[in-house]
Amino acid sequence: MPYLEKIEYKPISVRKLLVEMKNLSELMIDLAYSAALFNDRELAEDVLGLERHVDTLTYLLEMEIMIAARDVEDAEALTGVSKVAAAVDKISDAAADIAAIVTQNIGIHPIVSEIFERVEERLTRANVYKHSPLIGKQVDELNLAARMGVDIIAILRNGEWIIDPEGKETVADGDIFIARGAPAGVEEFKALAEGKLKKLGN
Amino acid sequence: MPDKYREKFEEIAEQFVELKDTSELMMDLAYSSLLLNSKELAKDVQKLEEHVDELHTEFELAVLSSGFHEKETKGLLGLIRLGVVTEKIADSAAEISEVVLRGIEPHPVLKLAIEEAEETVTYMQVTKHSELANKTLRKACIPEKTGMWVLAIRREGRYVRPKPNAEIKAGDILIASGYADGESDLKRLASP
Repeated sequence: MPYLEKIEYKPISVRKLLVEMKNLSELMIDLAYSAALFNDRELAEDVLGLERHVDTLTYLLEMEIMIAARDVEDAEALTGVSKVAAAVDKISDAAADIAAIVTQNIGIHPIVSEIFERVEERLTRANVYKHSPLIGKQVDELNLAARMGVDIIAILRNGEWIIDPEGKETVADGDIFIARGAPAGVEEFKALAEGKLKKLGN
Repeated sequence: MPDKYREKFEEIAEQFVELKDTSELMMDLAYSSLLLNSKELAKDVQKLEEHVDELHTEFELAVLSSGFHEKETKGLLGLIRLGVVTEKIADSAAEISEVVLRGIEPHPVLKLAIEEAEETVTYMQVTKHSELANKTLRKACIPEKTGMWVLAIRREGRYVRPKPNAEIKAGDILIASGYADGESDLKRLASP
């Protein structure tokens, strides 16, 4: 049985919880498809971890909603919020279902993955190692989109997800980047992050 | 591997891409319907949900009738599960749009959470003489010119996801959202 976080009320605003749930659920779907189509177990494990986190957030959100309702009007309006949160939770569950295809060693038929790779951009997980030329640079400054057609969609740093990071974010040793782009660009980015490539090209 | 077999798989992969794209399009439309409290958009989401159900059945039948070999059963099970997931995502989108159709006034916190500068949604037909006709979305630069972005393209009763390479055709209806000011600019581009 997976570890279940203990749920304790924490005063976090409904807005903050909902934004986080929505952003995570969207990230999870992207990560999960990539994990399944490219048979990437690490990405799949990330998705399963995120799914448990979204479950916790859903509990906290329900608590906030219950506290916030004072009268009939509140109850009507907040029911809508609760429904939306439930739908977002279901989407994160759907992402976990995709990830499970990988973790349960079922896999996707190789011809289909191959065809899919032609039409979809791929996501990758890149570990930043200590000799990487990217360390200490701001995401902006790297100009990844223009240089190699790569977009950073998230950073996993000290166990926390930074989704859609700002350009001012500085790359640090130990960061894990989730990047999207054409296969060649993504490979180049990964080599830079791991320090296998020493210099940024033009 | 015989070509016929490969062809069959190309077809299955295409069907899956359509399912995936449609389910993701539905999510975008569902959030927008909520944000704008638009029953029209919400109804589009509901219609798409029925469409996804049909696509999903066709997809499953195609997988099951692919004439696969026994050693491929796992890979095909994976594919069937992917199909189930797209259906689940489409259902979630439909549930979000249902909140709007039930007449529940969206709570202000939902607007804050969806966090996009959307004021309005508009349905605009592309006429024969429009400069947008036969351009890809990337070339059309609609957000730059109008401050509105295309949520979906409705074509002959179907919905096309607005990928940058999608081509706009005369007769298309663009479903776009953005600042109210942009509506007249979009009209100038699409229906001059």
